[in-house]
Amino acid sequence: MAAVGVEVSNPPDVRGPTAPLPAVTFGAGIAALALALGGSLALLAFGGVANAPLTSFCTSQGIVETGPIPITGARSICGIAEGLRSGTELMVLVAGLALGVFAVGTGFTMYSRMDTKRRRNEMLAGGVLGVQAVLLASFLLWFRQSGTLMIFVKNFLDFPIISGWWGTLLVGMKNTAMLAFGGEFGGIVIGLILALFTISKQRTVRAPARAYINFFRGTPLVWQLAFGYLGLATGLGLNLSPYATALIVFALNTGAYAAEVFRAGIQSIERGQLEAARGLGMSYLQSMRYAIVPQAIRRVIPPLMNEFVILIKDTSLVIVLGLTHSQWDLMTAGYNGYLNTYFASFFVITAIGYLAISLPLIRLVNSIEKRLRSGLVGVTA
Amino acid sequence: MSATVPFRIPDQENGPLIHLEGIHKWFGNLHVLRGIDTQLNTGEVLVLIGPSGSGKSTLLRCTNLLEEPTLGHVWFEGKDITDIRTDLNDVRTHIGIVFQAFNLFPHKTAIQNITVALEKVLGIKPNEARDRAMEQLTRVGLPEKADAYPGQLSGGQQQRVAIARALAMRPKLMLFDEVTSALDPELVGEVLQVMRDLAQEGMTMMVVTHEMGFAREVGSRMLFMSDGVIMEEGDPREMFQNPQNERTKKFLSQIL
Repeated sequence: MAAVGVEVSNPPDVRGPTAPLPAVTFGAGIAALALALGGSLALLAFGGVANAPLTSFCTSQGIVETGPIPITGARSICGIAEGLRSGTELMVLVAGLALGVFAVGTGFTMYSRMDTKRRRNEMLAGGVLGVQAVLLASFLLWFRQSGTLMIFVKNFLDFPIISGWWGTLLVGMKNTAMLAFGGEFGGIVIGLILALFTISKQRTVRAPARAYINFFRGTPLVWQLAFGYLGLATGLGLNLSPYATALIVFALNTGAYAAEVFRAGIQSIERGQLEAARGLGMSYLQSMRYAIVPQAIRRVIPPLMNEFVILIKDTSLVIVLGLTHSQWDLMTAGYNGYLNTYFASFFVITAIGYLAISLPLIRLVNSIEKRLRSGLVGVTA
Repeated sequence: MSATVPFRIPDQENGPLIHLEGIHKWFGNLHVLRGIDTQLNTGEVLVLIGPSGSGKSTLLRCTNLLEEPTLGHVWFEGKDITDIRTDLNDVRTHIGIVFQAFNLFPHKTAIQNITVALEKVLGIKPNEARDRAMEQLTRVGLPEKADAYPGQLSGGQQQRVAIARALAMRPKLMLFDEVTSALDPELVGEVLQVMRDLAQEGMTMMVVTHEMGFAREVGSRMLFMSDGVIMEEGDPREMFQNPQNERTKKFLSQIL
């Protein structure tokens, strides 16, 4: 029961004061990680954009601007690699490693002796950050002098090679978003109807809905896409583009999963709610529409959004359909970029593109969940 | 199970409001109602008492067919509403029910809880529905809580909103299913007062309750149920003072 007329006040801070040693340990942990991660990234980024002339090391590794096999973005690649190999990077890493070792050493050995919560937390946080910094710095120290350094940088971090592809990739992001949003919207509609069918008392209504759900959950999505386009759209001579077919298949597939989510949501609503609605003279469908489903939807927003995040990535399966250039989704765009150049940087940028779509959504889900958990059910939506 | 003799169809004008005839109810193989026959006239306040598991609530819920009797007939205004062709949704607009667990819709404000059925079931215009809802909220003493969500109300307030919700339909009969059992003791009084006023205004009521004082004071007739049958029936004051049945005596001596 929500508090009625209870006075609201913030609790006092009871973590107590800090002291020089825990503060230093905590600071050392932060500095260590900042050096190992931030320092290295800054050096890489600086090397990547500095446009410095090629060094003899780079040319010896085949990173050349002229000659039989010129490399697009050679200067950028060389800058990044030399940034990693530089003495500055060595100093940054060694300093990070030393600070990290210090933080680990003091933090983990002495945290249990701290006499306030704040001191203990600072010791522990410093130690944990130290571990992260030591692991990262050690890896980079090994990696910067290993033979794979140049191959890695050339393959994965050659961003100038993408320059002619930005438009294609952006259109790909747009198509991915459209397929995902369209599929999710259709899926929610289909799922809600199917869910109502699956909770019917009539076996004749339930059975086909269950068969549908089991079929779409029991076969691979990539099979559904291939069969939908090659088997049905093409085989039956339907005038459907691969893009439209994909949209339909995504909606049908998402519908099956959403149906199970909705069913669980509806069944989680207390029986008394349906009785109250029926007791007021509402029909079964009215009870669902005005009393049960609105509550169920609030409860299933988090799992539904989870399905949506999965769908965003599953849209990449349209790659099997052979879309035309303007219909490429993000994955197909990135893959074609790779096939044209054999530079895996396209995969890196593709991943960043997917994260750019899904991370804001994940954040949104988390905040909605928090609101649903803490606040009144009524104030949302 | 004496359903072989066809029942005389009661006179719609002067017959009982509710007539229960040979009601049996099984839950799985549990035989919870074992042949209930009773009627309720307009203006009566029928109180159902008895030990838990005696079938009082089930009987109440059979009255508006929230539970379907396995055997037997329920007549409402002379119409057999256990007939499968009955429009139960229409019947239920005339029979209000209030539950132990309030069952307010948590996603709607107090007033929306009341107006939703007025608008969607009775087809009343939003403005008019709002007026009608406010009228009932005022009657239960909660006009200032119209825009509060159930989660912001105390148990007693929620139950009063639930009563207002049922009353706004202007029912001919009100069913109360242990409506004070889920309330903190200090909140019971406000709900009972609303019911007391309602009885005084002449509302026909069927009340399942453990509040013996209320039963004695407000009830015009009382049924004592045990093991799915009516053990004793009569005037509440007389029954409390001078119970005839052994089971009634034992029950009353345990709780009074």
